[in-house]
Amino acid sequence: MNAEFFAFSILSVFAIGGAVFFLNSVRVMHMAISLAFTFFSLAGIYFLLQAEFLAVVQVLIYAGGISILMIFGIMLTKPEEGSPGRSFQYHQWISLATIISFFVIIMVIIYQSPIFTPAEKVSSPSVQQIGSILFKQYAIPFELASILLLVALIGAIVLARKEQK
Amino acid sequence: MDALLLYLGPVILLFIVLGFVTYAILAERKVIGWIQGRIGPNQVGPWGLLQTVADILKLLIKEDTIPKNADRSLFKLAPILAFVPSFAVLAVMPFSSRIQFANIGVGLLYYMAISSITTIGILIGGWASNNKYALLGGMRSAAQMISYEIPLVLSVVGIVLTVGSLNLNEIVAAQQKTWFVFPQIIGFVVFIIASVSELNRTPFDLPEAESELVAGYHVEYSGFRFAFFMLAEYVYIFAMSSLTTVLFLGGWNAPFGLTFLPGIVWFIIKFALVVFFLYWVRATMPRIRVDQLMQFAWKVLLPLALANIVITTLLKEVPFFTLYY
Repeated sequence: MNAEFFAFSILSVFAIGGAVFFLNSVRVMHMAISLAFTFFSLAGIYFLLQAEFLAVVQVLIYAGGISILMIFGIMLTKPEEGSPGRSFQYHQWISLATIISFFVIIMVIIYQSPIFTPAEKVSSPSVQQIGSILFKQYAIPFELASILLLVALIGAIVLARKEQK
Repeated sequence: MDALLLYLGPVILLFIVLGFVTYAILAERKVIGWIQGRIGPNQVGPWGLLQTVADILKLLIKEDTIPKNADRSLFKLAPILAFVPSFAVLAVMPFSSRIQFANIGVGLLYYMAISSITTIGILIGGWASNNKYALLGGMRSAAQMISYEIPLVLSVVGIVLTVGSLNLNEIVAAQQKTWFVFPQIIGFVVFIIASVSELNRTPFDLPEAESELVAGYHVEYSGFRFAFFMLAEYVYIFAMSSLTTVLFLGGWNAPFGLTFLPGIVWFIIKFALVVFFLYWVRATMPRIRVDQLMQFAWKVLLPLALANIVITTLLKEVPFFTLYY
């Protein structure tokens, strides 16, 4: 058992543990914190895979930005608000079916991808390489994503304006 | 030997940082005292040298109170979440050409990412206290830290463009001839203002504005949990001053070829100057209003930082300036 395996076990247990806490918590604030914990553990796994840039961006955007935004929103609600009522039975069955199909799809993709062939030595991509691929090869999808974000931003402003009136 | 240093190094650094915090607090009170024509603490020990030690001892032996209606687990978690990132960011800081713990390729981004976790700790601390002043302080703090993080990150993009790397060692190596404070003067000004705000210090100390919010997010905290919040704040002063030195003041590089002093001494001199500047600003400036705070970040600092990026990219192509950009 080498150090890498040890670190991976700890990080994956943390990530799954955060997700379990997220599902089992009663208070919304606890859910947000456990979600942030899961995001942070995933960043650790990215670090193990030598994807430094991805790991740091994961911390910056998910563990930092999105979690803070969620907590910020939740803070404005009353802390006494307990758990919402139990959802309907058929609702749970639909969720179960969706989850199982999602699991099957993910498993099919995993077994079709060449992960299980012996991997050749992978060097960690530098920030320059990621940048040039992003801006040359995938320039149009990248710009489309930024337009999508801009539209979402304008939409949020429009919604906030409407509420003011 | 190397393995021993790997495990002992962080412990030694922790003690250095704790020693720094102890005497930074004393120095701050002394400097502000002198600027305001007072003497400052002078009773405990010679020249008041043991003042902070006595203060910390008092905090440690205080009763540990948790409000009845507080969220107990989160209340206990918040000081830890606020402190741990402040120490974790020091891992990538190159103090001299040899003293550094982790030389990772995205060191600069690592600092920015990890330091944003502290905001979660402050927010939870404010929320879990179940107190309206704490909640308001936490909200203000989160809004402020998010707003000022953007100009902070954008102001260093000019340096990243010039060096072509996010690695802090390469950034220092690129400053052997000219420190980035000269070509990146706009970026430097934006960075200093945004970093004072990220440190929650006067004139941007709205999260703990004692005259209006009692104490802000840590109003319900006492004893060693309060000490942890304060510790996090001062460790961030250590980290931010180191980062300013590394990014803009040439790190361990000696000015004017004065290499008879070792690099670490130059680093400490520049670092001490930055820390003194922070005290000076605190003693001089009044606190700004909360509406001015947001407007200043979004309408002044952000456009300036963006303009700095554009200017840097343009000057990178002009023949004479390519020496500096």
